[in-house]
Amino acid sequence: MLFWQDPQFGDRMITLMAALVLVLQITMVAQRWLVTNIRAFAIQSFLLACIANTIAYYNGATHIYIAAALTLMFKAILLPVILQRLVSRIEIRQEIEPFVNVPLSVIISGFLTLLAYVVAEPLQTQAALPGVAGLGRNTLPVAIALFLIGFFMMINRRKAVTQVLALLSLENGLFLAAISLTYGMPLIVELGIFFDVLVAAMILAILVYRIRETFDSMDVSRLSRLKG
Amino acid sequence: MTIPLLLLIPLAASGITALARGRRAMELIHLFSALAGFTAAILLAAEVLAQGQASWGNSFLFADHLSALVVLLTAFVYLACSPYSIGYFRTDQINQVFGADEDGSIHLAKVRKYFVLTPLFAFSMFLVALSNNLGVMWVALEGTTLASIFLVTFYGRPTSLEAAWKYAMIGGVGLSMALFGTILTYYAAGQVLGTESLNALNWSVLAGSAAKFDHTVMRLAFILILLGYGTKAGLAPMHTWKPDAYSEAPAPVAALMAAAVLNCSLYGLARFYVLTVRCLGPSFASQLLILFGFLSIAVAVPFILVQRSYRRLLAYSSIDHGGIMVLGLGFGGALGPLGMLLHMTFHSITKPLLFFCAGNAQQHTGNDSLRKTPGGLLHALPVSGPMFLLATLAVTGTPPFSLFQSEFTILRAGFAAEHVGLSILFVMLLVAIFAGFFYHIAQLVLGPPNDSPKGETCRWKTYPVISLSALVLLLGFWLPAPLYFLISGAARILAVQP
Repeated sequence: MLFWQDPQFGDRMITLMAALVLVLQITMVAQRWLVTNIRAFAIQSFLLACIANTIAYYNGATHIYIAAALTLMFKAILLPVILQRLVSRIEIRQEIEPFVNVPLSVIISGFLTLLAYVVAEPLQTQAALPGVAGLGRNTLPVAIALFLIGFFMMINRRKAVTQVLALLSLENGLFLAAISLTYGMPLIVELGIFFDVLVAAMILAILVYRIRETFDSMDVSRLSRLKG
Repeated sequence: MTIPLLLLIPLAASGITALARGRRAMELIHLFSALAGFTAAILLAAEVLAQGQASWGNSFLFADHLSALVVLLTAFVYLACSPYSIGYFRTDQINQVFGADEDGSIHLAKVRKYFVLTPLFAFSMFLVALSNNLGVMWVALEGTTLASIFLVTFYGRPTSLEAAWKYAMIGGVGLSMALFGTILTYYAAGQVLGTESLNALNWSVLAGSAAKFDHTVMRLAFILILLGYGTKAGLAPMHTWKPDAYSEAPAPVAALMAAAVLNCSLYGLARFYVLTVRCLGPSFASQLLILFGFLSIAVAVPFILVQRSYRRLLAYSSIDHGGIMVLGLGFGGALGPLGMLLHMTFHSITKPLLFFCAGNAQQHTGNDSLRKTPGGLLHALPVSGPMFLLATLAVTGTPPFSLFQSEFTILRAGFAAEHVGLSILFVMLLVAIFAGFFYHIAQLVLGPPNDSPKGETCRWKTYPVISLSALVLLLGFWLPAPLYFLISGAARILAVQP
């Protein structure tokens, strides 16, 4: 048996990639440049596609390959390209101005990761299966952490584009949870979810563009005329 | 065969409208599709009443009493909105809302947007109620958000962009939580049923085996579903997008969102409620539902009392009614779900009337401010004015109107479940809402005539108001037997014993 056919090797690879995904999420919280943020998101999506591929390979589940290919195509390539074009076309300042400063944000992200491990623990009792069946189950806390940190990023950011980015990374957490817990949803659901996420991203991009035109700024904290 | 037909009608209508040339053709297609959709919904309800359930395509699409009821209500609201929207947009053109527009091309483009997107909106709502697969149901609910975002930005004002942004972001986060809940449910089901087939997310399959699901997973899943679909239904504290979106969207869109989307998101919540109760017993889900229901009713009270805009007033009323329905479900027993579904039915008939009257008043005075309008709408709008008052009395649950019956049923369910203190508090909050709502609308409608010009120029806008008012009055005294059987059949689905 070649070493890459051993499920244990696959498990290690998945754990390694999931750890990188989490690191990238915290990177997105920690650094201030919008373009770097978009690239971090692209790499994160690429790693997710790799995780999905690995799980598909060891389980022989063909429909996860489709999910992986879609992730690669849309989230790792298409959406980052669209977002980068948008950023360069509307000539906004390239810096993210969060409400909470960076060191504190990173500490909060650390606490959210801890919380994710606490939440995920009771769910993992049945997950400790040997061999192929338990593959990737240990990434559930990472998925929950992505979800929570994505949430925090959305609240913490002023600019419209960066909020969209936070929403997308939050959805990456969902994708990881779906892949690692259930080895993917049924194919039709997966396609539907992808279609929806894509359309939502397009609509948000159009809204961002219009907000820029109307308010001459993308500062969401200025969207505060409607009250009461 | 009615099930695929129901989905095809709005899809086809949307496609044909996109290609249609003139405004008149678009209006005709829209009217016809709404009529056909409502007929199909009645046929489906008849089929479900006769056979217990209907399904299509290897039970990919599936309808029981609950889905048939929600489909019927959605089709009804869509039907009520279609003639009204024709009058509403014609008035917009006369008022030159989109600026100087000599050949009418800007107006035509705007109206085309409405007539293309609204059938898609209706299509997603039908799909929510008809899909057996809970994942597809999620996709369809997200679809309702996507189809309606550009209807919220219809007027292109800075404030409508702000409203659409809040709607998209809060709705997006909410639905992602609901998706997480769906994934966890699938995980719980997969341990029992195996994950190989598409059927493992089918409600009809899950409902049978929910008792064996893992308790911890289902508990977390229900919390996420409640937060997610609760956001879509506008339950407090996730309600903040609602007043903005409802006041910025055109009146027929707001009516569709307030009456039909609310039902669909509560429908999604109710499906998971049944699974959770089967798995965990009634107390866990009930307590959460009662908490969120009360919170929504209580949040609406101060905002209704000090409100400055009547369109936002209606939105808070809608938050309040969403809370009442969730409360009914939370009280449980045999009466709670029955009260909830009666309330859903009556609310879907009364709310569009209220939005149409408010839309007429807004188009007449040019703003929706309660302060700037001097009152005396009764004289300027001889039809919509008095009907606005009537609809206000109906929607706040005054006897003899039908919402009184459903609120009373929920109250009885509360006493039956021995929530005496909560039930009394519920009545007090309802009285406060009635007082605030009635005060504002009476100020607006009553009063001496002023020199503002006479309104009611368009028959397309008054006839829907008149016919809906007649229906609201009629329902106060007589509920058709087949409709009642449909509602009580749906209530039996929700009144689960673990």
